[in-house]
Amino acid sequence: MDSTKLKQEIQERRRQAQSAPSESMPVEHNMAELRKLQPRYRGLEAGHRACQGCGEALAARLVTEAAGPDVILTNATGCLEVFTTPWPQSAWRLPWIHSLFENSAAIASGVEAALKAQGRKTKVIAQGGDGGTFDIGFQALSGMLERQHNILYVCYDNEAYMNTGIQRSGSTPHAAMTTTSPPGKERMGKRHLKKDLLSIIAAHHIPYAASASVAYPADIRRKVRRAVSIEGPTFLLIHSPCPLGWGIDSEISIEVARLAVQTGLFPVVELERGELTGVMPIRHPRPVADYLKLQNRFKHLFTDDPRAREEREHLQALADHNIEIYQLKGDGMDALDTDGADTVRRGGMVD
Amino acid sequence: MKQLSRGAFALPGTSLDFKTGTWRNEMPVHNHFGAPCHVACPAGEDAQAYIAKLMEGHEKEAWEILVSANPLPATTARVCPHFCEQACNRKHMDQPIAIHLIERYLGDEAIKHNWAYPLDAKKSDGEPVCVVGAGPAGLSAAYHLRRLGHPVTLIDALPEPGGLLRTAIPVTRLPRDVLDAEIGRLLKLGITFKPRTALGRDVRLEDLLAQHAYVFLAPGAAKSRHWSVDGAVPGDLREGLGLLKEWLIVGDIPKPKSVAIHGGGNTAVDLARVMKRAGVAEVHVITASGLPGPDADPKDVLNVVPREFDQAVEEGIVFHAHRTIQRLLMRGSKLVGLEMVHLKKLPGAGGRSSRVAFEGTETVLHVEMVVPAIGEVVDGTGFESLLGQADYFRADPLGQITASDRVLVGGDARGDRGTVTAAIGDGRLAAATIHAKLTGEALPDPKRRPFIGYDKLNVNYFEPSPRAEEAMLPVGKRTDTDEIEGGLTRAQVTHEIGRCFSCGNCLACDNCWTLCPDNAVIKTQERAKDGSHYVFDYEYCKGCGLCAHECPSGYIIMTPD
Repeated sequence: MDSTKLKQEIQERRRQAQSAPSESMPVEHNMAELRKLQPRYRGLEAGHRACQGCGEALAARLVTEAAGPDVILTNATGCLEVFTTPWPQSAWRLPWIHSLFENSAAIASGVEAALKAQGRKTKVIAQGGDGGTFDIGFQALSGMLERQHNILYVCYDNEAYMNTGIQRSGSTPHAAMTTTSPPGKERMGKRHLKKDLLSIIAAHHIPYAASASVAYPADIRRKVRRAVSIEGPTFLLIHSPCPLGWGIDSEISIEVARLAVQTGLFPVVELERGELTGVMPIRHPRPVADYLKLQNRFKHLFTDDPRAREEREHLQALADHNIEIYQLKGDGMDALDTDGADTVRRGGMVD
Repeated sequence: MKQLSRGAFALPGTSLDFKTGTWRNEMPVHNHFGAPCHVACPAGEDAQAYIAKLMEGHEKEAWEILVSANPLPATTARVCPHFCEQACNRKHMDQPIAIHLIERYLGDEAIKHNWAYPLDAKKSDGEPVCVVGAGPAGLSAAYHLRRLGHPVTLIDALPEPGGLLRTAIPVTRLPRDVLDAEIGRLLKLGITFKPRTALGRDVRLEDLLAQHAYVFLAPGAAKSRHWSVDGAVPGDLREGLGLLKEWLIVGDIPKPKSVAIHGGGNTAVDLARVMKRAGVAEVHVITASGLPGPDADPKDVLNVVPREFDQAVEEGIVFHAHRTIQRLLMRGSKLVGLEMVHLKKLPGAGGRSSRVAFEGTETVLHVEMVVPAIGEVVDGTGFESLLGQADYFRADPLGQITASDRVLVGGDARGDRGTVTAAIGDGRLAAATIHAKLTGEALPDPKRRPFIGYDKLNVNYFEPSPRAEEAMLPVGKRTDTDEIEGGLTRAQVTHEIGRCFSCGNCLACDNCWTLCPDNAVIKTQERAKDGSHYVFDYEYCKGCGLCAHECPSGYIIMTPD
């Protein structure tokens, strides 16, 4: 359709809608009232300062929605902390505390111990980005798991220190460009591999550790409910695209997240007491290039440089390795595989 | 009050006080694009809308949406080639939705439960209009004129209404109880029906124009074209539509050992199947068109319902595609065979296409009988002054003709139609045009809207799912009286409507509501102004475009703010 004509049509329709409210349709909605009537719990409210298309904001919204109102949150330093709580406002509709970068798990441990002493059942959720979890807060997290605190730790993984200007973290994937791992004469982006954090967490022998992706909201909800219902330490790693840091347009952040799962680069798995107990099977594995070429942080892998080809093949091999060790390759159609898990229907998602 | 330092304590403030909508340079809006099924339907049925209503569990309301365009859904479901299904975006994923079977289900339910048309049969404050011809076009025009409140007189030369639905379509395709139920329901809407009233014989056009504000002419095309091969004609030549009518009324059909039917339309195929079942051993259909198939050019295939063609092949009819009859082999005035030759319609000089026969491809077919079924032209008796010497009327898309500003024309009497559904569409548009002229309103716009393509949907959110199959009589059990195709069960209908992509319209799937990182999509219980159940909170929407990109149905677009 001709875009100018379409625009005129839309403007005309909007004008009509404003001038003559029809009888069958309600007049202008009172948005503030309507917001209060939403048929879901709102843990993270609008007005936060996350960038357009932020995967982390979406993930945090979904987690608090599923966990419900009887929750206390702690937060490591990072984007999530900054964009939700510019003084004197808060986007959280839950008790929330932040102290330092490295101690989200430690504070959560203290809150949980205090609640336990008071005999209260309120669930504690500790949150952090990949920097605050894989690297800086790792020691506190390990201690929290080792002491068997009744806490769900959620790591929003956007694969670099986005808050401070896109520095590489332990989670940054191999060959990705960040401001501290620029491609050039010496190397093609990050030299090292993405830390296999989930295996390290699982080695603490905790009851439940899982990964999830914002591309599959129903899967996130299910895993959060599962985790908060367990008495003991649980861990959730949520892959959350960062449009700014990854160099993608804001509208495709879900699409990119979906491709990370469908290529096998980000395996969606569940581990109980260290054992693999569930995976999201991949119905049609996609080549990693489909995922990489959408992102500016991998742009240097699509140049004439012979190392570009090599690194692309390396990433493909890493994806193939994931598919192999987690047995991600699906076997026919499955309602919970990478194609089935996001199926929609009239009347809304049922999960 | 003691003031605490800002590091330790925050006054209760909410981020809702901060309107992130100011960041936006593009805004999401709902935009209802045409669905391919809706745009493709010559009758104007919005399949997507009635499927949505059916999905909500409201069967009667779904049927009411259906009959707001087409008063005879149980009939068209059985006889239409289903342009809707040919256009359905689902074909790019697996198979199109079986729209005609959903339409049939609703049509049959309406007959079973005796649902009334959603209109006031007593309303008669308009101007009197006369409709000539009680075939699909005339019935549709009468119905839509009644919806608009105009008194209608409907006349037909035959004793019973229905036109070619009754005289030319075998009961194996369209059972007469279905047809009678739908037409009977329609005629009860305060329509004055006068059967056995032929224009030119019983009434004059001038009188009709004197008594009515407008006349809608839908006489159909009933006069056989002259047929011969280089002037040669067998002495006992019978023409296809005449044979079919005779068989429908009298029940008699010639039974030679072998027959060749010349033509590529529904009459040719229906007649071929009737003769085959009557015991004719060899039935050939010779057509200048190609046969339907995956690689066939849609402009160059038989003008029949595709599954009718499949059933005919199943029953043993032999088709000779891209062929014509070049010579008749006669012994005296008796046919003993004919000579066929390959031909194709090719573009010639000056852009006009012509049929080119290919030398060296002649073959002889030994048949005892040849039946032409090459189409019919308008019998102009009673309105010679309007038709002139032409075979068909030339009318604008609304049915208006230059010869009179108070007569409109529709259906097969126009040379550019050819399906029951198109005739029903003509009736609807003519009724709307007459109403507009009487009330001084703007004329209806017959232009087809652009529809939304498969590439505008986000099909990640849909799963492959096989098309529901209707019950079908096996070849051995087919008779002259029993309907060959069956309908779907309610369970099958539920499965089938669940396959709809809801192209260009809200699926109410919650995806935008679920995926907005900024909580700027708000769900509503009552319908919002645009008919969906979601509204954008532009005070907070940052314009990231996620909802538009991830909308499965292409209902959200981004537009400059």
